[in-house]
Amino acid sequence: MKKTIYIFSDGELHRKDNTLFFETESGRRFIPVEDTGEIMVFGEVQFNKKFLEFLSQKEIILHYFSHYGYYMGTFYPREHLNSGYMILRQCEHYLDELRRLTIAREFVRGAGKNIRQVLKYYHSRGKELGQPLETAEKLIATIDDHDSITALMAVEGNIRDHYYHAFDIIINDKDFTFQERSRRPPKNYLNTLISFGNSLMYSICLSEIYKTHLDPRIGYLHATNFRRFTLNLDISEIFKPIIIDRLIFSLIGKKMITKNDFDRDTEGISLKEKAKKCFVEELDNKLKTTINHREIGRSVSYRRLIRLELYKLEKHLMGEKPYTPFIARW
Amino acid sequence: MPEREISVSGTLVWYYYICPREVWLISHQINPDQDHDNLSLGRYIGENTYAREKKEIIVGNSKIDVFHTENGKMVIGEVKKSSKYKESARMQLAFYLKELKERGIIARGELRFPKEKAREEVILDDRTERQLDQVKREILRIIYLEKPPQPKRIQFCKKCAYNEFCWS
Repeated sequence: MKKTIYIFSDGELHRKDNTLFFETESGRRFIPVEDTGEIMVFGEVQFNKKFLEFLSQKEIILHYFSHYGYYMGTFYPREHLNSGYMILRQCEHYLDELRRLTIAREFVRGAGKNIRQVLKYYHSRGKELGQPLETAEKLIATIDDHDSITALMAVEGNIRDHYYHAFDIIINDKDFTFQERSRRPPKNYLNTLISFGNSLMYSICLSEIYKTHLDPRIGYLHATNFRRFTLNLDISEIFKPIIIDRLIFSLIGKKMITKNDFDRDTEGISLKEKAKKCFVEELDNKLKTTINHREIGRSVSYRRLIRLELYKLEKHLMGEKPYTPFIARW
Repeated sequence: MPEREISVSGTLVWYYYICPREVWLISHQINPDQDHDNLSLGRYIGENTYAREKKEIIVGNSKIDVFHTENGKMVIGEVKKSSKYKESARMQLAFYLKELKERGIIARGELRFPKEKAREEVILDDRTERQLDQVKREILRIIYLEKPPQPKRIQFCKKCAYNEFCWS
């Protein structure tokens, strides 16, 4: 599988003959183009049109993040997989309220059930999570009763709210208390980690969508407004609990990230470069971890699971097989 | 991609003999996973073999891999990674021969397996022509199905770039 290149330092990205080249004050480094699937830029980086043209040609997607680690945007090269048929199916399922609800419900169900799975895991390891678990179960059971996107979004928000409050029981570290969900800027260390992780998840899902025939602008749970990518937000809901949140628990638990890894300034809290690197490195490892897939008959990586999720959605849109979200079993 | 009328191409004939589901998917521009190893290998072999021969001519909807003339007669070749699905490849090449014949060119066909350093001759006879007419109709029938034919687990699945799409 092609690699993800993370760039933290400041410098210049070039096309150098038929490869990529990153130049900083302290040195230069070649980026093997055939082996690169996506580039994530955290530092201050300069590049020119020739470089972007080359990325397009090689179908490499580039995501960029602000100094605080928020997702800022993506250079999404021209579509290389075009299927008029699939775009029409995607729109058809968006425009028809009932069909849209059917898909949106599955996204909420997937998010809810994976959240439940995370809670269950820590509950079985002696954390007092009976209450949040019960609430999550109850809320999941109401998903089919709601027949508007707004109501579904509210259920999802509700589940997530109870879940986030359970973080204090799971993490049990006074430096990393949840308090409340705060974004832009996050008000405490834990929220900073959640925001950073979610940003990464959105961009990874977008990269996977680029490799399918789906249009990332047409989401089902998150409203399409034709300006922003939304399908990646939908898909992220399913994977955030089992990939990002579990990663955060383990980073804090193993003291790989501590309160000293944060900077506080007038605009808010940000992760220091070393901690960002640690986070993405561990995320990269996690995405490469494989699990056994029964239907495919061999093991697949977590990253691949995201692609499979998109394939399942395509098959739902084609009317082949109703979409059911991936639910972790442990 | 420019607007095109739906019609049968040589590649579809090749896929028809392997898996009808593939025919449907490809004709709806639902291409397989481009990162798949076998696709890259096939692409590589296509681009890097028979460098001295003229390459790729387009006849109707089909792209013929290599061609040359021998004693004033045209010889066309189809390059394959292996001879494993020889019968499919044979029909694909026969399809090209027929397309040329319909345009007044009588050519000879050669299957090429560069990795195995092997070639095999393909001749268009009446029986094959009749068979191709039938296959063409059958392919069109598949293309016009509202949904793709259900996936069926066959030997080819293991190496197919649609594997994860079909079985996810």
